[in-house]
Amino acid sequence: MLDTASAVGKAPDRGDPGPARSRRLRPGPYLLILPALAVIAVLMLWPIGQIGVMSLQKIGNRQLRGEPAEHVGLEYFRTIFADPFFWQTLRHTVLFAAVAVTLTMTVGTLIGLLLNRLGRRMANLVAGGVLVAWATPPVTAAIIFSWLFGTTGGLVNWLLDRLPDALVGGGWPDHNWFATPLSTYTVLTVCVVWQACPFVAVSVLAGLKSVPSELYEAARVDGSGPWRSFWTITVPLLKPIFMVLIVMSVIWDFKVFTQLFVMSGLANRDAFNLSLYAYSEAFGSLNPKLGMGSAIAVVLTLILLVVTAVYVRVMVRQGETA
Amino acid sequence: MKYTRIAATTVAIALAASACGGDKKDGADAGKDPAQLKVWMMGDGTPEQTKFLDQVETEFRQKHPNTDVQVKYVPWPQVATTFQKAAAGGEGPDVTELGNTDVQSHIEQGNLLDITDQVAGWADAGKLNKTALENDKADGKTYALPWYGGVRGVWYRKDWFDKAGITAPKTWAELTAAAKKVQDAQKVPGIGVPTDQTNALLSFVWGAGGDIAAKQNGKWVGQFTSPQVKDAVSYYTGLITTDKVAPEKYVGKNELQGPQTDFALGKLGMYIDGSWAFAQMKKIAPKNADKWAVFPIPAKNGGNAPALAGGSDVAVWKDTKAPKAAFDYATVLNNAKNAAAWADISGFSSMRSDVRFSDPRLAVFTDIAANTKFAPISSGWGEFEQSKKVVPNMLKAIVQGKPIDDELKKADEQANTLLNP
Repeated sequence: MLDTASAVGKAPDRGDPGPARSRRLRPGPYLLILPALAVIAVLMLWPIGQIGVMSLQKIGNRQLRGEPAEHVGLEYFRTIFADPFFWQTLRHTVLFAAVAVTLTMTVGTLIGLLLNRLGRRMANLVAGGVLVAWATPPVTAAIIFSWLFGTTGGLVNWLLDRLPDALVGGGWPDHNWFATPLSTYTVLTVCVVWQACPFVAVSVLAGLKSVPSELYEAARVDGSGPWRSFWTITVPLLKPIFMVLIVMSVIWDFKVFTQLFVMSGLANRDAFNLSLYAYSEAFGSLNPKLGMGSAIAVVLTLILLVVTAVYVRVMVRQGETA
Repeated sequence: MKYTRIAATTVAIALAASACGGDKKDGADAGKDPAQLKVWMMGDGTPEQTKFLDQVETEFRQKHPNTDVQVKYVPWPQVATTFQKAAAGGEGPDVTELGNTDVQSHIEQGNLLDITDQVAGWADAGKLNKTALENDKADGKTYALPWYGGVRGVWYRKDWFDKAGITAPKTWAELTAAAKKVQDAQKVPGIGVPTDQTNALLSFVWGAGGDIAAKQNGKWVGQFTSPQVKDAVSYYTGLITTDKVAPEKYVGKNELQGPQTDFALGKLGMYIDGSWAFAQMKKIAPKNADKWAVFPIPAKNGGNAPALAGGSDVAVWKDTKAPKAAFDYATVLNNAKNAAAWADISGFSSMRSDVRFSDPRLAVFTDIAANTKFAPISSGWGEFEQSKKVVPNMLKAIVQGKPIDDELKKADEQANTLLNP
């Protein structure tokens, strides 16, 4: 953006190099973003650089005490890529993100549409209700969900047990939701979607408020039902919002750690995702393998950087069309 | 990582500043009393524990009147990360409690001070449990003192056993039969068999006369494919899959994530836990407390199976500025009087041969403690058990129908690499 602006501005000034140079430098904007950049550099870029360096070194507690670290090159990356367990955790991460993002967007949009239709008092009530879920810290949410789906005194098992066996089958009081990856991830998905959809709902609601109601009236006059109005008016107009929400959800759901760590923990390796795998290597025991953990973190970071690149592209595109 | 590095820098600056100041004042004598002694204790710090440590401090200060003792509690789940930060940042303790299975890792990482000479000069050293002291040594040097130990037995409902006419099982077959009778009569699962409880499986392995790893020519070699281990693993998982006297709901869990609560509430016939569980269960269901009792985990063909000697040791941190005061604190903490007081408060048995439980209810644990064994004494045990959780994941896979021979073979391969770091 800045480049094109200065290129456009340069042409008329060609005959006068003095002011052109000063205008091309234009330190003002850079000075303004400098504080933010400095904070990001210290808190994000430097640690990311550190992780990159550490992923090439053998680092345990002895090295943390100050002994020089041994350089191992790309050995950890070779180990990881040759390990079927890594691909299993990657598969879990990607599949979970795909399902969770789809559900978050669907449920969030539906709630947004509902909020738009409700009267003011009811809308406030519903919005307040869903925002509580958004405001709940992930650890709290995870603990609540592991209680809900627990075996002793768990509400979900109790409820399923009360329902007629013909409908849901029997044996619910002792059902272990965290025994297999599929059911663990089912609970995890419900928990994560429950927490993430309020943000989508409120964003969609904000978008809906900006759509002129005349468009819907005209569509109704032409005989369009709600389904058709949604797909031909709402979706195209809110497309930029949807794009940003999807990309952000993908980023969030890729790095889910807290909930899975609390609900399933290190004793269920078959349900690991990438974050948990990295954690177990780096911090799981008194013999930390920070190099190996860093290497896994680098892989996760690279994947997220690709998604972020898409996000930035979407943002820039929107800047151009707006 | 970013936190540790930042913390490290901050602490390094702070230490440099305080070290300069301290040197000038004290004249930097390692044997002299420090102004402060940092003591780390593991766990959440109950009021009883705090009161006990206050008394220890009073006694310690009779010898070191100028030293202020600062106790910090480190909850067990945060132990690994807290010690990592201590190693990285230099803000470690002077003297610390350690889980006994972690001692070898600490020695290997150079966290602990060599206290061989001080131990030799301590009159009570001869009273310490020899096996436990062996776990605190490497290359002939001593790095820690055994403090207390915990062994596990089978908690059962005495009233249900009496009603069904069962006595404490002495063999595996009797254990299964007892679980079945309780299950049929009370309509609750007979026994809790969580897969994330390596200590319980180890007792069954030892009770079959085997071990999960053996040291051959200075290297640990996995023994999971041996007939004894296979026997024990088949029996343990079979309680769930074939005998159906243990529920599937504890798969992927440890004894605290279900079995303990269920047993206390009267929803489970038996489960395996230590003497310390009594205090916790009384909080859950005080009205059932009189009905609980314990028998030792049976060996395959009769007798008590060896129990894993869990517990804690006391060590002097390598970076301490006051090694003498730190070691003195350890000896006061572990003198005969305080060891006896601690055993009664905590429910853990002392690692001193001259100290016994005074509560008759826990007497059975003294019997169990007569026959203990250690997990492989290797600095790789931490990774094998805590981060890779090899045994729990193997048990889970077998319970869920994976072929037992494949899983045992995989566990052997992991033992061969992880236990020889």
